Amino acid sequence: MSIMSYNGGSIVAMVGKDCVAIASDLRLGNQALTIATNFEKVFPVTDRLYVGLPGLATDVVTLRERFRFRVNMYTIKEEREIEPETFAHLVSSTLYERRFGPYFVEPVIAGLEKGTNKPFIATTDLIGCLTLPKDFAVAGTASDKLFGVAEGLWEPDLEPEDLFETISQTLMNAVDRDAFSGWGAIVHLITPDQVITRTLKARMD
Amino acid sequence: MSRSYDRALTVFSPDGHLFQVEYALEAVRKGTCAVGVRGKDVVVLGVEKKSVLQLQDPRTVRKVAMLDDHICLAFAGLTADGRVLIDKARVECQSHRLTVEDPVSVEYITRHIAGIQQRYTQSGGVRPFGISTLIIGFDPQDTRPRLYMTEPSGIYSAWKANAIGRSSKTVREFLEKNHKDDMTRDETIKLTIKSLLEVVQTGAKNIEISVMEGFNKVTSLDLAQIEGIVADIEREKEAEAERKRSRLAATADIQAAMAAGSSSAP
Amino acid sequence: MECSFAITGKDYVLVASDTNAARSIIKMKSDEDKTKILSPHLVMTYSGEPGDTVQFAEYVERNIRLQHIRNIHELRPSSSAAWIRRSLADSLRSRHPYSVNLLLGGYDAATDTPKLYWIDYLGTLAEVPFAAHGYGSYFALSLLDRYHNPEASLEEGVATLKRCISEVQKRLVVNLETFKVRVVDKDGVREIEL
Repeated sequence: MSIMSYNGGSIVAMVGKDCVAIASDLRLGNQALTIATNFEKVFPVTDRLYVGLPGLATDVVTLRERFRFRVNMYTIKEEREIEPETFAHLVSSTLYERRFGPYFVEPVIAGLEKGTNKPFIATTDLIGCLTLPKDFAVAGTASDKLFGVAEGLWEPDLEPEDLFETISQTLMNAVDRDAFSGWGAIVHLITPDQVITRTLKARMD
Repeated sequence: MSRSYDRALTVFSPDGHLFQVEYALEAVRKGTCAVGVRGKDVVVLGVEKKSVLQLQDPRTVRKVAMLDDHICLAFAGLTADGRVLIDKARVECQSHRLTVEDPVSVEYITRHIAGIQQRYTQSGGVRPFGISTLIIGFDPQDTRPRLYMTEPSGIYSAWKANAIGRSSKTVREFLEKNHKDDMTRDETIKLTIKSLLEVVQTGAKNIEISVMEGFNKVTSLDLAQIEGIVADIEREKEAEAERKRSRLAATADIQAAMAAGSSSAP
Repeated sequence: MECSFAITGKDYVLVASDTNAARSIIKMKSDEDKTKILSPHLVMTYSGEPGDTVQFAEYVERNIRLQHIRNIHELRPSSSAAWIRRSLADSLRSRHPYSVNLLLGGYDAATDTPKLYWIDYLGTLAEVPFAAHGYGSYFALSLLDRYHNPEASLEEGVATLKRCISEVQKRLVVNLETFKVRVVDKDGVREIEL
């Protein structure tokens, strides 16, 4: 049994037209036993930037705390909000610091760039190797299923509401085939003027 | 090598004094007065409170600190140094419980605090703590109250009653004259306040009293209670003065009568 | 083979732990209290590697007490949970990690809400309406899915807890005779005799 699938959980992020979405399931398990169904894995970094942290739950919380600390220090020192690309590199370097004793987490980053509102998504592996996809990013125990569904459903230049539908269907159908993910889902849709957060009515079995 | 130059060290003067330590004692003498008095099964700490500024929150200015369930500490001198020392002592109290399961004894924590103070007179790059402390409390499984004092030099000693800080000499002399063994709770509190009134001119509103009667039994008196006791003391003083006056008058009368009698004698 | 449960109710949290102390297959003691009162409104059950458990529980106890003395106020349950979690998470990547599983029940006097946290030796933290550790969790969690009521009165909560305990006593091969039960509410922590 891999450490990466000890607690379970999955994340997906998708690019739309001047918008971006990131979604996760809500399960926290101990291998096959479900402990909690309210365990959020996606956290806000700024008003228009979110990070999802699937993997070992202890590291999910530790990394959330560390990222919050480093982003706050950045904001205070630079006197400006952190940009998605900068944050991606901050995530990468934080993880690579522990190259030979890693945090067991594969972050997914989703946000809008300042001014241009250009969508940005990124993933890294557990030691901080960055990947910058154009379309969608997946991670977690259902990542293989997510790849399949997202490949079939995603199309370029989706409007916010269409993007919401696409990412929700992708996540729900993927996690329903994964024993370690599911038990509720939450979607954050980031548009230039607001972030819409919705919890989905998912299968609870 | 250059490091050895920029480190201040507390060193002896040719005639055997540690000036830095003596200056620290001076800082203590400038600090507000604190009094500790031991009774039969109670021990009381009284401190002189500086009046807070109009817009200041008085709760944030405290001179008596709990170290553990059964130990209290008051200090005189540099408040900032006091805070640091108190925190070190609190950590030691919990650490002691963790390692040997028992709460610290009053002597143990006093020795620990005095040890820290001594260390700061003998190591490089530091200055001594500018505070003296009064430590009161009860030992585990014991009902006898304890009172200790520590000084910047690291000296510590046990007392029946003692004072530190501004005009502590006057207060100590007062205590020496008036302290009795096995005082009751009320007597102990009264003596504490009485001795503080020797140096606190402004009365009740500048006095803070903490009474300790055992584990988890610490009470601080509120202003009304202190005012009540101060009024009692005033009344007693007044009555005493009245008695003195009438006695003087009586003596004068007698003397006058005698003088008259002798002069009118044949 | 240790077992602990906890459930939240309307304005309280109930925690329960079995009272066996065992070394391998031998029961050494049957009245061991594996709960700890950390502050006036915080109680914790602990289980795991013998030795580590008591050592870590006392370490937590003293630190929470220190926070209480330093700040005059007791640390709130959420903050206590975060601190304890971080201690375990740091310990996990140290040379000798503690292997201790905890249930942390508290009453947040500031918001008048009962709080329950599930914490394992990895430093995993989850705020939950009910929780369990050990083999008992396989029975109790499914049972609580059916019977737990977040609005239940104390009597109803105790009844639900009794269900969990009797289920474990009935179906688990190990005999867990007695349970230590504590409740925390606005008046603080107290023991409940079943």
